[in-house]
Amino acid sequence: MIWEVFRQEKTGQYHTHCGNVHAPDREMAKQFAAIQHGRRKPTNSLWVVPRDEVGEIDAEDVAFGGTTDKAYRWATTYKTTGEDAREVVESEDEQATAERQRGDD
Amino acid sequence: MDLDTVKDRAGPREFSPADDLPEEYRKAATRMIEFHANSEIMGAYLERPFIRQAPSIDRKLACSAKVQDEIGHGQLLYRAAESLGVKTREEMLDDLANGDGKFLNCFHYEMTDWVETPMIAFFVDGAAMRRQATLRRTSWEPYAHAMDKVCFEEGFHVKHGEDILRELMSGSKKEQELTQAAFEEWWPRIIQFFGPTDDKSTHHDFAASVGLKQQSNDQLRNAFLDQYIPKARSYGLEIPDEPRIRELDDGTYEVEEGDLDWDEFFTIAKNDYEPGVGQINGRKAAQEAVQWVRDTIESDATAAGGHAPQAAD
Repeated sequence: MIWEVFRQEKTGQYHTHCGNVHAPDREMAKQFAAIQHGRRKPTNSLWVVPRDEVGEIDAEDVAFGGTTDKAYRWATTYKTTGEDAREVVESEDEQATAERQRGDD
Repeated sequence: MDLDTVKDRAGPREFSPADDLPEEYRKAATRMIEFHANSEIMGAYLERPFIRQAPSIDRKLACSAKVQDEIGHGQLLYRAAESLGVKTREEMLDDLANGDGKFLNCFHYEMTDWVETPMIAFFVDGAAMRRQATLRRTSWEPYAHAMDKVCFEEGFHVKHGEDILRELMSGSKKEQELTQAAFEEWWPRIIQFFGPTDDKSTHHDFAASVGLKQQSNDQLRNAFLDQYIPKARSYGLEIPDEPRIRELDDGTYEVEEGDLDWDEFFTIAKNDYEPGVGQINGRKAAQEAVQWVRDTIESDATAAGGHAPQAAD
């Protein structure tokens, strides 16, 4: 049985997928995950999930974010005057980064 | 974990569903996050009519996207609240429908004219974002994670709201006057967004001591005024004479509390304010109108035929 492993580096961070292990049950999966994925890199917590329990939908199944121009959804579209609040600037920067990474324009 | 340990450890994103937390913490966090979730939903309903009333296709698209986002934020937050194990998502939604669920004061007022939209989309959302940015450091990890996504999306809402304000204030004289009038009507409510002053706040001390809340009402109100008074002025809005706001030597502001209508505020807080009751019942009616959609989804075997589909509005 295959178990997908998700590692969280520090308290409060997200658990992100880091690999998988072969194990007969949940208890063994946790032990193997700790050994294989928790030792070298900083680790605060690990999740193990049976692979069969993971649902997947990919870019062939669906056009993520749609196929139309949704510029109206981005803060970068709107021009304002004066200095924006720092959290608004931060949000706009995160959006600009996401927009670039989507790379479908 | 006992309460003293919680207070000792209370740092940003410190506690997750894996921790055994005392009931006091779970209840306080549930109260706070449920209020936030309800507010997202009720705010969306307040703005929904402006998808139809938007003056251009660009505004229509943006209003529609924003309403969709807010409903999504509500869903994220109900999950973060539910993960505390005090109330289920179903119970919270039922309470909102039957008038027991509490939500932000500003969303108890009616909004009828397009000139009012920046009062919510720019000022109220701007105020909300000031607060939400601090909540990325809250001690309940699922709440902080929800704030990551909310803050990512919210910048568009605030800037779109500001763009509407800019357009109105550079429009005809009549548009400018109507916008100023809307601003004067909404301004005291917006100041009250941050709740009563610190010494009158009932829940602050505990929430702060366990790291749920990061800044006090007064600190947040100050941070808001500091940023948004200059913004309002830059678009030609005049700050109303009341409530009186004094700028102190240290750069902070002092609001004359007696100039604000606290009777109305606390009537609203009890869900007894008449227009607010209308908002609650309006949402309930919309929910019931599309019950057939949920029924169809949940009963996969039954065909949807038999009755004419109905729209929520």
